[in-house]
Amino acid sequence: MTGTPGAILEVRDLHTQFSTLDGVVRAVDGVSFDVARGETLGIVGESGCGKSVTAMSILRLIPPETGRIASGSIKFEGEELTTLSEEEMKRLRGHRISMIFQEPMTSLNPVLTVGTQIAENVVRHLGVSWKAGRERAFEMLDLVRIADARRRLDEYPHQLSGGMRQRVMIAMALSCDPQVLIADEPTTALDVTIQAQILDLMIELKEKTGTAIVLITHDLGVVAETTERVVVMYAGRKVEQAPVEALFEEPLHPYTRGLMGAIPRLDVEADAAGTRPRLQEIPGLVPILTQPIVGCAFAPRCGFATDRCRSERPPLVDAGAGHLVACWEIDRVRRAA
Amino acid sequence: MSDAPVLQVEGLVKHFPIHGGLLQRQVGAVRAVDGVTFSIRRGETLGLVGESGCGKSTIGKVVLKLIEPTAGKIVLAGEDVTALKPGAMWTHRRRIQTIFQDPYSSMNPRLPSGTIVGEPLENFGIARGADRDQRVAQLFRRVGLRPEAARKYAHEFSGGQRQRLGIAKALSVNPDVIVADEPVSALDVSVQAQVLNLLIDLQEEYGLAYLFISHDLAVMRHISHRIAVMYLGRIVELTDKRTLFTQPLHPYTEALLSAATAPDPKRRGQRKKIVQGDVPSPAKPPPGCHFHTRCLYATAECRVTDPPLLEVAPGHHVACLRRPVGGDPGPLTAP
Repeated sequence: MTGTPGAILEVRDLHTQFSTLDGVVRAVDGVSFDVARGETLGIVGESGCGKSVTAMSILRLIPPETGRIASGSIKFEGEELTTLSEEEMKRLRGHRISMIFQEPMTSLNPVLTVGTQIAENVVRHLGVSWKAGRERAFEMLDLVRIADARRRLDEYPHQLSGGMRQRVMIAMALSCDPQVLIADEPTTALDVTIQAQILDLMIELKEKTGTAIVLITHDLGVVAETTERVVVMYAGRKVEQAPVEALFEEPLHPYTRGLMGAIPRLDVEADAAGTRPRLQEIPGLVPILTQPIVGCAFAPRCGFATDRCRSERPPLVDAGAGHLVACWEIDRVRRAA
Repeated sequence: MSDAPVLQVEGLVKHFPIHGGLLQRQVGAVRAVDGVTFSIRRGETLGLVGESGCGKSTIGKVVLKLIEPTAGKIVLAGEDVTALKPGAMWTHRRRIQTIFQDPYSSMNPRLPSGTIVGEPLENFGIARGADRDQRVAQLFRRVGLRPEAARKYAHEFSGGQRQRLGIAKALSVNPDVIVADEPVSALDVSVQAQVLNLLIDLQEEYGLAYLFISHDLAVMRHISHRIAVMYLGRIVELTDKRTLFTQPLHPYTEALLSAATAPDPKRRGQRKKIVQGDVPSPAKPPPGCHFHTRCLYATAECRVTDPPLLEVAPGHHVACLRRPVGGDPGPLTAP
């Protein structure tokens, strides 16, 4: 794969590993993707597929005591991130690359007012005065539509609801006009009506600011509604990548197909009798990542698997129009549609 | 599905006192459940859906008598169990069992899984010794676990397998009703599908009634026969699944359905009206209709008058002043 023109973030053959008592966990096992300026890229997969570790690797937040980026390259605006010093990374994080996480309460400082926390970030990265920082904090709270923003500046995180805390996190993340925002399960802890508000807000702000978003989630509904391109991960590997319409129109990897068949659908009309169609199950369990995986990681659970799948790792191939898939049996899978 | 309800709940109220001040006197109450009535028939799944703090989990706990109701009546298989003290309730626990969101926290980490699943059999004097072991093996097979796994401990199982263990344990005493509180929320989608399919199979096999508590509308639609939508301690709409999803009448139900994401990019941007703001605190619910602060159609009357839950069409109960009995089921307009 070569760099896409206009790519702001280029991840190449990333391997991130953790040392545990059970051996080395290959959490990310050779993942490559690009993020174009201003686009929303979704990374989707189930627990342990490596999607969050990929995000942590980009931000260089892998705890050095247990984990490390074993190999690969992460380029942001052409600059290699894997070799930057911690000081240089600190200048980048929260400024040109920002992040929001699932639980805002754990990312916000409980003893500082939200105004101070946002202003701190602005003062630190942009070198403006405290007064200007506070003013920027107010603008940002207003931008994420927190009512009565002036008063909220002086409130502490515990005085805010979960939805408002996530708005504060977004305000802080966007306060220095980042080029890339990494959002790791940003709405998973929120109620559906609040989730809808936050997703709408993120899309609206992206259009306003031109910030590229890497949205990491397990929720295919969230992916369908917010992203432009999607990377599907399984067992630390990228198994499929496609424009969002193509992925949902014709998922090509048997794992992606399995996932889509496994979710109960709200948008599909129930039949007259109200009978409940069986959900498609994916048999078996995800592989243990301490052992090297030979062949395709999904082969033990895949109905299409052959001897080749069990012995040779399938490369990512372009199935047309930017739809990449790592599967040896792609023709058979397609016919089985 | 037979018509006799196995579980009836009438006017159920649960208030949690709030203590404050120097003497820790009661200064208020969290009105977690505020007058809820429903019934479940044999072989039926009633879904309780709502956002955090709506009281759905509290209803589960009160129905199980893990906490005492403040007021109201619980009738289990024809017997009023509302006032029963723990000792007397104990014999009824055989009829009503529960499955939790995180079965791990409900399992003794020092006991082999077979002992955990077999414990209720001994407690209720159903089976002992070799007979018990045989039943445990049957239960393991029925929920899709290998009987040899009975020697393993809870931590040796995956999340989905542990949920199967929880189901086996609940099933062991052959209950009439199972209260399932977010049983699949902690599971990955592929495993979630396995557990939902298992729950449906078991219901058809044993005629179990489920009180299924979840925040997930898609899961709800899949497993429930009837669904009760809750908001701040009250049921605002109760009807069969099909009607709820095709012709919701309560503005809150409409808002919930509209807010749910669908795995279909073509439907993007079709979200109509999203409710604004947050759910008010159940310690200080708004007067009148609890939803009026976020409702697009609220009138002056909605701010002062409590809407009763009325059967506005056969089998379709709605608590909204703008949805009178026999009224026009068409879309509402802002006043």
